[in-house]
Amino acid sequence: MYSKQVLTTAIAAALTLSAGAVAQETVGPNGEAATPSTEIALTSAELEQVKGGNHTAALLWHTSSDFTNAVTAGARDEFERLGIEVVAVTDAGFDSARQQTDVETVMARNPSVILSLPLDPVSSAVAFRDAREAGVSLVFLSNVPNGYEQGTDYVTIVTDDLFQMGKQAADALAASLGGKGKVAWIFHDAAYYVTNQRDNAFKTTIEKDYPNIEIVDSQGISDPARAEEIANALLLKTPDLDGVYATWAEPAEGVLAALRASGNDHTKVVTLDLSEPVALDMVKDGNVTAIIADEAYELGRAMATAGAYGLLDKAAPPFVVAPALTVQKANVNEGYQRSLRRDAPDSILKALN
Amino acid sequence: MAQTLAVTWMAGLRRYVVYVGFLLVLLFFAIVLHDDGFLTTRNLLNIVQQTAPITVMAIGLVFVLTAGEIDLSIGSIVAVSALLAAVVMREQPAILGVAAGLGAGALIGLLNGALVAYLRLPSFLVTLATLGLFAGVGRTLTNLRSVPVTNDLFNGIFGSGKLFGIPSLVVWTTLAVVVGHFFYRETRFGAHVHATGDNPAAARSSGIKIQRLRLGVLVLSGMCAALAGLLYAGRLQGARYTLGESDLLTVIAAVIVGGTRLNGGLGSVFGALVGSLLMGTLNNGLILMGLSVSEQLIARGLIIVIAVAISLREPER
Repeated sequence: MYSKQVLTTAIAAALTLSAGAVAQETVGPNGEAATPSTEIALTSAELEQVKGGNHTAALLWHTSSDFTNAVTAGARDEFERLGIEVVAVTDAGFDSARQQTDVETVMARNPSVILSLPLDPVSSAVAFRDAREAGVSLVFLSNVPNGYEQGTDYVTIVTDDLFQMGKQAADALAASLGGKGKVAWIFHDAAYYVTNQRDNAFKTTIEKDYPNIEIVDSQGISDPARAEEIANALLLKTPDLDGVYATWAEPAEGVLAALRASGNDHTKVVTLDLSEPVALDMVKDGNVTAIIADEAYELGRAMATAGAYGLLDKAAPPFVVAPALTVQKANVNEGYQRSLRRDAPDSILKALN
Repeated sequence: MAQTLAVTWMAGLRRYVVYVGFLLVLLFFAIVLHDDGFLTTRNLLNIVQQTAPITVMAIGLVFVLTAGEIDLSIGSIVAVSALLAAVVMREQPAILGVAAGLGAGALIGLLNGALVAYLRLPSFLVTLATLGLFAGVGRTLTNLRSVPVTNDLFNGIFGSGKLFGIPSLVVWTTLAVVVGHFFYRETRFGAHVHATGDNPAAARSSGIKIQRLRLGVLVLSGMCAALAGLLYAGRLQGARYTLGESDLLTVIAAVIVGGTRLNGGLGSVFGALVGSLLMGTLNNGLILMGLSVSEQLIARGLIIVIAVAISLREPER
């Protein structure tokens, strides 16, 4: 009960969007210290042992995106190396009820490993109960169900270095502004642990490390399609706005549309997660100054390997993070390679040459 | 002669398309997934339990569509009712939580109905507006936070419990279908709903108070959505503002595939049940087949298009 309360409080703190409640580094939902994902690896003896086990895995994602595709690719490649067959991949569309349905459905195939992002600590405690009771090796992405114990109920939590992502966004924007100016903060107005931590890390870093940069406007967004309207309103209120932080790439595209429509080439934009239109603007010396990416492929690899830890009863560190990555014009192709394990899209490579 | 036969045959197919389609889909998955756990009692029971909220909402919508109206606000009603019930049950007994949830659904339905019946606004626009309005209310109600439900009695009755060994969600589904079918087919209210949707002018001149009836079906639909919200809250042992958000299209698809006409006058409660089970079975089977998410969406979309095409195609005159 105590741990449940602590967890609820920790999550609630992350969700209140109050900068004061945010830690200075990425910590687990129960305050666990982070272990780099590169430390998650199997010995060759362990590899052989897993290979002979006829194991299966299911990937139960919260949504479908470039990000989940890259995590899936990393996990699939690693599972293939480990001789584990992937029997199901699902998308809950950010719907907790659907996630429970997905868990119940894939349990019919008796998977030995489940990789998933629990959408909501409260309802996922029930959603994953069957899997937990069946002794499935559970590896969670970014979030953990209420009351689940690491080591007994699940193997580990793997996530982006969320704080570093927000911090690096702040550092990149500050560098492009020469350390002073007026910026707007467009945050994700929803109870979603991942975006909330990243958004708050940006805000905290600006407030703490850059005294000459002022956040003149804060605007929440839940529907990315509305980003253009929001950006127009921000520009109307502060015509000499120097920088905008957009919580992820899709709203950043709306912000860019607004800036372009008003012929604004002054305001710098920083956002998180790779996206072709945003990266294209960046390499064409447009408004975008940097994109902070995560190593999604590496996340998937680490999750799959951690799944094997569970099968082997090998003790895993409680909280594993994959590094954050600042992608700018100079390293855009390397950024795509490290994040998604593929070359930057043709349009971007062409624009570079 | 041959043409008449063909028309009769088509009409028959249209009427039973959902049952035939459901059996075909079941058969297909049973063959393809025979050793992948699809046909286990547990998996089949899962499908019925998972679709319980969709079925309950679909039954409400059968009445609304038959009366020639539509209710787009059901997704938001689900979230508001579930959250309200969960909040009330923090301090109060389950019965008050249930009353709060159902009451919220009835009130929102009443608001929809009053705007449609007495301000003569189209239900499509009214419920589109209240869909957004109450999505916002749901978000503010608990400031986006999930609310756990720790009341075991409630979680048992509306979620994971059993009655005489039958899972409670199966009981709710059965109850909703039996009661819904009875009211739809065997009562004066049901007959008036049909008459109003079929020909409002004729219904009015035969003495049916069609405005009051429109209000009635929207209140009914609101309460069905509220009950669906309670079922979600019981199954998840908690409520969240995103509950029901993505259900509207599934419910409409289930109802239409189940043989209810979009423009009123004709429908089927059993059809809606089978339509809802068809949707649930498709989701379940396509996942178990190991398809990628995009492939699942494409396959589901194609099957729905085919089913709707057969069930909706009007005979050429």
